[in-house]
Amino acid sequence: MSELQHIPQGELGRGWARFKRNRLALGSLVFVGLLVAVALAAPLLAPYSYAEQDLTGRFLPPLSDGHLLGTDELGRDVFSRLIYSLRTALLIGFAAELVALAVALVIGMWAAYQGGRVEQWLMGFTDIMYAFPNYLFAVLLVVIMGRSPLSIIVAIGIASWVNQARLIRAQVLKIKTFEFVEALRSIGTSGFSIAVRHILPNAVGPLLVTTSFGIPLAIIAESGLAILGLGVAPPTPSWGGMIIDGYTYVLGNPQLIVAPLTLFGLTMLAFTWIGDGLRDAFDTGEEDRA
Amino acid sequence: MLAYLARRLVRLILSLVAVSIITFGLLQLVPGSFSELAEAGTSELGGDASATDPALTERYGEQVPAWEQYLTFMRGLVTFDMGPSYRYPQSTVEELIIEAFPVSLSLAVPAMLLTLLIAVPVGVMAAVKKGKLADYGSVFTLTTLQALPGYLFALLLVLVFAVWLGMLPVRGWAGPEYLVIPVVALAVQPTAMLARYVRTSMLEELREDYVVAAQAKGGRRRVVLVRHVLRNSLIPLVTVAGPLFANLATGTVFIEALLGIPGLGRLFTTAARTRDMPLLMGTTLFFALIFLLMNLIVDMVYGLLDPRIRHQRSSGWRRPKPPRRLLATTSRGRGTPGHDAPDRSPAAPGDVEVARP
Repeated sequence: MSELQHIPQGELGRGWARFKRNRLALGSLVFVGLLVAVALAAPLLAPYSYAEQDLTGRFLPPLSDGHLLGTDELGRDVFSRLIYSLRTALLIGFAAELVALAVALVIGMWAAYQGGRVEQWLMGFTDIMYAFPNYLFAVLLVVIMGRSPLSIIVAIGIASWVNQARLIRAQVLKIKTFEFVEALRSIGTSGFSIAVRHILPNAVGPLLVTTSFGIPLAIIAESGLAILGLGVAPPTPSWGGMIIDGYTYVLGNPQLIVAPLTLFGLTMLAFTWIGDGLRDAFDTGEEDRA
Repeated sequence: MLAYLARRLVRLILSLVAVSIITFGLLQLVPGSFSELAEAGTSELGGDASATDPALTERYGEQVPAWEQYLTFMRGLVTFDMGPSYRYPQSTVEELIIEAFPVSLSLAVPAMLLTLLIAVPVGVMAAVKKGKLADYGSVFTLTTLQALPGYLFALLLVLVFAVWLGMLPVRGWAGPEYLVIPVVALAVQPTAMLARYVRTSMLEELREDYVVAAQAKGGRRRVVLVRHVLRNSLIPLVTVAGPLFANLATGTVFIEALLGIPGLGRLFTTAARTRDMPLLMGTTLFFALIFLLMNLIVDMVYGLLDPRIRHQRSSGWRRPKPPRRLLATTSRGRGTPGHDAPDRSPAAPGDVEVARP
């Protein structure tokens, strides 16, 4: 009896038990948790304001005069800007992925569950979205909606739901063939209820995996937009903005780029390793199963 | 086959029309008429607002209704006369695209070659050493590399080779030495993705009966691996390599912006930032055309390479779902294409029929 209670119940519980055994993934999760904490506590941790300029103290080297990572071309404290840029990256990354996931869920599930003409139309629309090369749609949307954080979130979200919709559709199509769905239908459960209350919980593993891969992609898109000059408006710092600003002075002051580059790279790796861990835990990837 | 080609071409044109309508419709949401924006664009850039080309006003002026502007543009697309751009009124949209495309191609072709040159041996090595340290090590490295966007690699290379060693230029476009950093940076992600794909494909082929047969007949391991397994496992590679190349040839946007390369990506970005509507429409449609054409070519070549596959009646819009094994890769690499390639693995359902003896 007591042994039985130790077996985690439900898809999530079992996945988590497997996930915990992956040291790299667990470490990455802790790291991301730390990043979130730092981003939330940015005003407490940052020694200076991210916008405060000091034109007499430009291009200070790291570790000088209270500036841990030095100052940039306008004399702003790089360390403080880095902490605040984490806010931008994570906020836009999480929120944009949430938007993408919401759109993908509605379209993917509707298409798969309804079938027939609705499915044909929805999937035809997905195909057309595919013809837009990656990120170009996001650029178009930002041009139309402007550079506020909200419009960047919506732009990236709308530009990146297509793959997730396909994945969700594939999942729902698979689960739809299970016997319990037939059983539910035979007792008169409504289609909506089956889809949301019964099929969705069974697809939670693959959903988590896509989300964990979707967030870093959204962050990459956000920084990319900033590199193109279409990111969040200055002086709000973002990794892409810090990179493209610092790039002008890269020969004399490479440290201006090294700082955001390092944090950016580490964040990407952490999310990837979490995603890999989740994929192994929920056994959704068949890629390496040979 | 011809009928299939015709159907695919019709679908391609329909997709292009859909893309053009979506793009144009979205651009209509930008407040202000085309020519007003044109004037704003030129004066923002220090140009003279009054000097706006009369051809522009005639095409996109306030008195011209939106649907007529759209039709004019689409007619121009077909007759190859898309008219002047806002930002560069002295040159036409098609001239600008023709000028920028070779620049992007000169990055894409070497990057693609580099990708194939590295990815195939690495993938084969990992597959052959399946379950050993070399396999785990390379898979881990590849996954890690795939997670980082190309522009981060470009920055890393700039820091090492331009700043630290002083061997290569930081940015610009003036000679062969300017190619090195963008080509290598562009190749990293595709290499990682392709190598993993080769590995999976090799492992799948290795399980086939003909491998056992070849070995039983006394084929040496190396011969069996290269002549039978590798050759067969490279066929599905076509489905990934095609869209990958389309992606490299068009979408080097971030790297081009970072390194100051006057390619297609930068043309698109400049058009977007200055709200240069004709140029924006032109580049978007050109990108879409390359993507769709590449997909078509891949499907055709695939049918030729693998005689087991016959193209059957394709049902309207629906395309078969992507290969299951790619999904994991796909979900991570939206930057890398290939996921819209139909599944040609023998077990795949959809509009590809597999005829087995």
